[in-house]
Amino acid sequence: MKRYDAIIVGGGHNGLACAAYLARAGRKVLVVERRERIGGAAMTEEVFPGFRFSVFSYVVSLLRPEIIRELELPRHGLHILPLESTLTPLRPDGKAGDYLAQWSDHDQNRRELARHSVRDAEAYDEFGLLLHRMARAIKPLLGVAPPDPASLDLRELWDLWRLGRYFRGLPEKDLHALWKLLTMSAADYLDEWFEGEALKGTKSASGIIGTLLGPRSPGTAYVLLHHYMGELDGVFRAWGFARGGNGSVSAAIAAAAQAHGAEIRTQAPVSKILISGSSATGAVLDNGEELRAPIVVSGADPRRTFLGLVGEQHLPDEFAAAIRRYKFRGSSAKVNLALAEPPRFICMPQPGPHLRGAISISPSVDYLERAYDDAKYGEISRRPYMDIIMPSMLDPAMAPPGKHVMSIFVQYAPYHLNGGWNDARREELGDTVVNTLAEYAPNLKSAILHRQVITPADIERIVGLSEGNIFQGELTLQQMFFLRPAPAWARYRTPIRGLYQCGSGTHPGGGVMGAAGRNAAMEILGARA
Amino acid sequence: MLKTTPFHERTAPLCASHAWRRWAGHVVASSYELTHEREYHVIRTAAALFDVSPLYKYMVRGRDAGRLLDLVVTRNVQKAAVGQVLYTPWCDHAGKVMDDGTVARLNDTTFRMTSAEPNLRWLQDNAAGLEVDITDVTGGIAALSLQGPAAGSILASIGAPALKYFRIAPATLHGIAVTVSRTGYTGDLGYEIWAEAGNALALWDAVMEAGRPYGIMPAGLLALDMARLEAGLILIDVDYVPARKALIESQLSSPYELDLGWTVNLDKERFNGRDALVAEKARGPAWQFVGVEVEWSSLERLYAEVGLATRLPSATWRMSVPLYADGEQVGYATSGGWSPLLKKYIALAHLRSRWAAPGTPLEMEMTVEHRRRRAAARAVKKPFFDPPRKRA
Amino acid sequence: MSDVVVIGADANGLVAAHLLARAGHKVTLVQEHGARERTSGWVPAALARELALDVAVEWPDPWLRAPLDGGGVLELWRDRAKSVDSIRRLSARDAGAWPRFCERMSALARLLERIYLEPPPSLVDLRFALRVRRLGREAMEDFMRLLPMPVAELLDEWFASDVLKGALGALAVRHLHQGPRSAGTAFRLLHYHAGSPSGVFRSPMSNLAALLHTRAGVGMREAKVSGITVRGGEVTGVVLDGGQELRAPLVLSAADPRRTLVELVEPGLLDPDLLRALRNVRARGVAAKIVLTLERAPEWQTLTLAPSLDYVERAYDDVKYGRISAKPWLDVMADGASAEVHFQYAPHEQSTDATIGERAAKLLAPYLPPIKQGKVLAPPAPWPEGQPHQAELALDQAFWMRPLPELAGYCTPIKGLWLCGQAMHPAVAGIAGYNCAREIGRA
Repeated sequence: MKRYDAIIVGGGHNGLACAAYLARAGRKVLVVERRERIGGAAMTEEVFPGFRFSVFSYVVSLLRPEIIRELELPRHGLHILPLESTLTPLRPDGKAGDYLAQWSDHDQNRRELARHSVRDAEAYDEFGLLLHRMARAIKPLLGVAPPDPASLDLRELWDLWRLGRYFRGLPEKDLHALWKLLTMSAADYLDEWFEGEALKGTKSASGIIGTLLGPRSPGTAYVLLHHYMGELDGVFRAWGFARGGNGSVSAAIAAAAQAHGAEIRTQAPVSKILISGSSATGAVLDNGEELRAPIVVSGADPRRTFLGLVGEQHLPDEFAAAIRRYKFRGSSAKVNLALAEPPRFICMPQPGPHLRGAISISPSVDYLERAYDDAKYGEISRRPYMDIIMPSMLDPAMAPPGKHVMSIFVQYAPYHLNGGWNDARREELGDTVVNTLAEYAPNLKSAILHRQVITPADIERIVGLSEGNIFQGELTLQQMFFLRPAPAWARYRTPIRGLYQCGSGTHPGGGVMGAAGRNAAMEILGARA
Repeated sequence: MLKTTPFHERTAPLCASHAWRRWAGHVVASSYELTHEREYHVIRTAAALFDVSPLYKYMVRGRDAGRLLDLVVTRNVQKAAVGQVLYTPWCDHAGKVMDDGTVARLNDTTFRMTSAEPNLRWLQDNAAGLEVDITDVTGGIAALSLQGPAAGSILASIGAPALKYFRIAPATLHGIAVTVSRTGYTGDLGYEIWAEAGNALALWDAVMEAGRPYGIMPAGLLALDMARLEAGLILIDVDYVPARKALIESQLSSPYELDLGWTVNLDKERFNGRDALVAEKARGPAWQFVGVEVEWSSLERLYAEVGLATRLPSATWRMSVPLYADGEQVGYATSGGWSPLLKKYIALAHLRSRWAAPGTPLEMEMTVEHRRRRAAARAVKKPFFDPPRKRA
Repeated sequence: MSDVVVIGADANGLVAAHLLARAGHKVTLVQEHGARERTSGWVPAALARELALDVAVEWPDPWLRAPLDGGGVLELWRDRAKSVDSIRRLSARDAGAWPRFCERMSALARLLERIYLEPPPSLVDLRFALRVRRLGREAMEDFMRLLPMPVAELLDEWFASDVLKGALGALAVRHLHQGPRSAGTAFRLLHYHAGSPSGVFRSPMSNLAALLHTRAGVGMREAKVSGITVRGGEVTGVVLDGGQELRAPLVLSAADPRRTLVELVEPGLLDPDLLRALRNVRARGVAAKIVLTLERAPEWQTLTLAPSLDYVERAYDDVKYGRISAKPWLDVMADGASAEVHFQYAPHEQSTDATIGERAAKLLAPYLPPIKQGKVLAPPAPWPEGQPHQAELALDQAFWMRPLPELAGYCTPIKGLWLCGQAMHPAVAGIAGYNCAREIGRA
């Protein structure tokens, strides 16, 4: 039997990142992935002949610059192309010009905003500056293992003290601004700054992604920050697209891991984490094969890890209870389209740079809130929020020449759908999305060659994310930082000695960020990040 | 797409250099000719015509218009006579400069304000509880600046009234209703002409036509930058960071630190930043904004050491250049260049107050043939160039 | 000791005025509106002691009565055993969970009580952090988890019964422009629990203001304030409607901060950024009040109609889009044959709409004696936009943020001008005034 220093369960981008860092430190590492391919939800697949899709996650927004740097991802094939703009059509039955665009060029952007509201155009810069400051303030938190505030352990106390000192060093007004972001709803927060409905709608949309909350729910303002975090380092913009799709992010990390000697096995589903006494000793595969290592790291979400692979009988009651109440409530779906021609939006009918950016169906806060109202009571949004990009516009190799792929992120499609998900409901969702979008771009329907609809139930079934939650658990305040995924167990460790977590279900949470994988590796290596 | 100004139809064919620059979201000519040299000299010898339409412009009207402006800016607006123009900065509550521009009193209750940054929101927020109407007229008003010794004669020839320095009056130029102010950004005799955007082309033609016998030339921003450097006039985003854009405390400047203390009227009972400015005045500002002259002999020596003739910048530079004294860095220059008129290498600089007195010996960093060197320089009084005709 | 003017004769204004008078100031209290008989909210023992007041504080008992679908009623009592009995008829599991729930919530409410009797801690206050730590692991984790949580989520973790969860959830969002599924509403459950006995999640009623109103020691003026005068950055007094000026170097305002600082103080004195922030303080009224005259007195004191969390949430959905709830949640307090109905949600602009009375009467008909007469009352005048807390009590406007970080210490940038109204920490009638007066004493 082969022995390893560490076994990583799950070959998603965080598991791979964790493996890469461990291997880089000289550990003998094995990654076991259930599926026939690596990447988890960060993967590219040729779903229809000639048409390649980032089937699940579709943009690179927050991938930590230090990971790109330290793992030399560009050398391993990563190339991030910026998404330059966001187009928000104002209404379905509109005319040319009925849009709000946000451009990367400052002057162009200001001019466009001023077309709708001069005040908003002026407030925009100030708003951006504040969020930049906030993003800077919070950035150091992304790279640390959250200490346990109730612990008496010296190391925890030391980290707590450092954290306290850091925050006490921030200007008070920044702390208050941060508190507001953490506790307010995106809608209320934006109301303090802007008057334009489409602007507020589009900006607040970033606050609801991956969460079963509406823009008027407190706690959604915080995610507004994410838009400004990527821009901060100047390494890449807030939203980018990986050449070759998001699978190339995973591929690059995997290549880095392998270059450092890590071993990766696909089609190796883990059925159980081996526990002896209160220590992890390895993992058992579905076929009965036993793999041994003193360290087991799970990239799976907390529910799958603890209630599935570990089993409650090995866990303290309090901890098991905390994992049971940890909220997933997936609410997002994906529709991937293969198109014979690009869409022609009524509001901007000519082909142009707007097709290289995001297209956001978020005409107002009320529109999003109504979409949420449907989902709150277990229904698919009759008029969903959609975030659309066309990867083939940035990377023509994603589709046959002249043809296109379109990725539509849809919200809300609640995991807990009344009556449950089935084929008919999946197609109903697909129809809702296409019909809604066709109101803005009437040529869409006839341009569709193929359609793939992915519901939260599909995400759970295919990728293994519980309840289809794209962040491995909702990113709400009570599930963040030292509470993610459970109080006292937020530093990637678990009540089982030798068992660690490295998925998005741990701090700092979701998105193709890689921070959890890196932080977990640092924690395992005993290094301070 | 960037915006074009109301004069674009005229300026575009004249722009032989195809050198355009962005200004507040507009395209304006950097220079019309292939080099900007001649355009600069015209400012000092005849008259140069600038398109300054991108300036932000606001009409402030109503019973409390003067009161609002007095709350906002540092100078005393209500004491200004009808027909007077004030140059003034304005501050946030902490007394840090947000912007600078002009306020023109058109009548008892009507003012026109110009600024470099958009200010509608700030004005509106300050107007809470006041009876005042604020309109952004930036796009609706076209503006020309005619600068140089012949500017007065040219305008007089098409019907402009005689104006004293920093005065404004309505006029009809060649049948076009305008307001004319004796203002500018060159430190020379100069006027600015404000007209409705629809009349822009006719106005351009009229002024160019009238100016032809006097040697008028359209001029671009490169020439303007040289002239304003000689005049010691600050430029936002270059010489100071407006308070709204500052990322850190040290990027902020008070009017005293920008040598604009003369504009701060502490007799006014209240205006934004007053309390902070009272305290700063008592304490004395930490920084001063001064002129710096580089010594030619020192410069020449630095180049001679590597076997080169002295190289001079061909246009005004805009970057941060360290200044040293007594072996430590005591400040930084933000604009500088070779004055073709004064034949001096001059710069505008922020200096810690202790080293800001005129005559203080300094060293300015220079990159001479890939190496960082220091040239001898000294603090001097601004402006570098101040002809009597400016205010005569 | 100098002259003091206090604006507003509600519990906060009265408490502050009398505390300052006892400290030796000559205090004039300007009563802008008619006095209210009863004060809602906790009256801390320390406050009563310092003012030597013999306050009568009362909760209805049972403090919550919620009708059940198939007849019968859920009753929650001060006596925990009686509550458990009543809950058991709905769910044995819920009945089992109730005592533990009450204990866990009490521990947190006791912490809030201590925080409420002081000026708000700073966000990075070490003492505050240590105090939270001293709670022990369980309560500390509860505190961190619970504060930002939706009350619906909290209740779902503990209970299964819709009626129980609906009624508790409704009381938590009382006067808040949010529904029970909104984050931060669990904190509200604790807020109304602070000062109440364990197992009682409703504020008491007291005669605090009524007692102080008739007490000597403070000069009372009935007038409307039209301005606050300031010279050289210091307050010099207040101007009454009609032009009379009351001069005083110390002025306290129990009126809402926006009115105090934006309307009563002359323009141009305050930082425009502060004024902008004040205009952004949320103070949206969401409730209507109906007074019913009944044929006879009902045999109960209170009735809450909020059959499930979804019911309350749907009621909230309407107000999000500016509509009166088609099916509002209702809370009735009966006093003899007269009953006061709290109707939520109704946007402030429509809070006296005629349909409100009809909707309430229809929903209540099965549970009430016949209604002789119903009247929809406009919210009391001192409530800006109909919001009794003057600034909505949400996490971003609580503690160190209340109503704005710059004003959280009760003092204003104008020397001698203090804020002591409901918009101030802790948004409990009387205690804001108490804290403010004590801060003045320390200054």
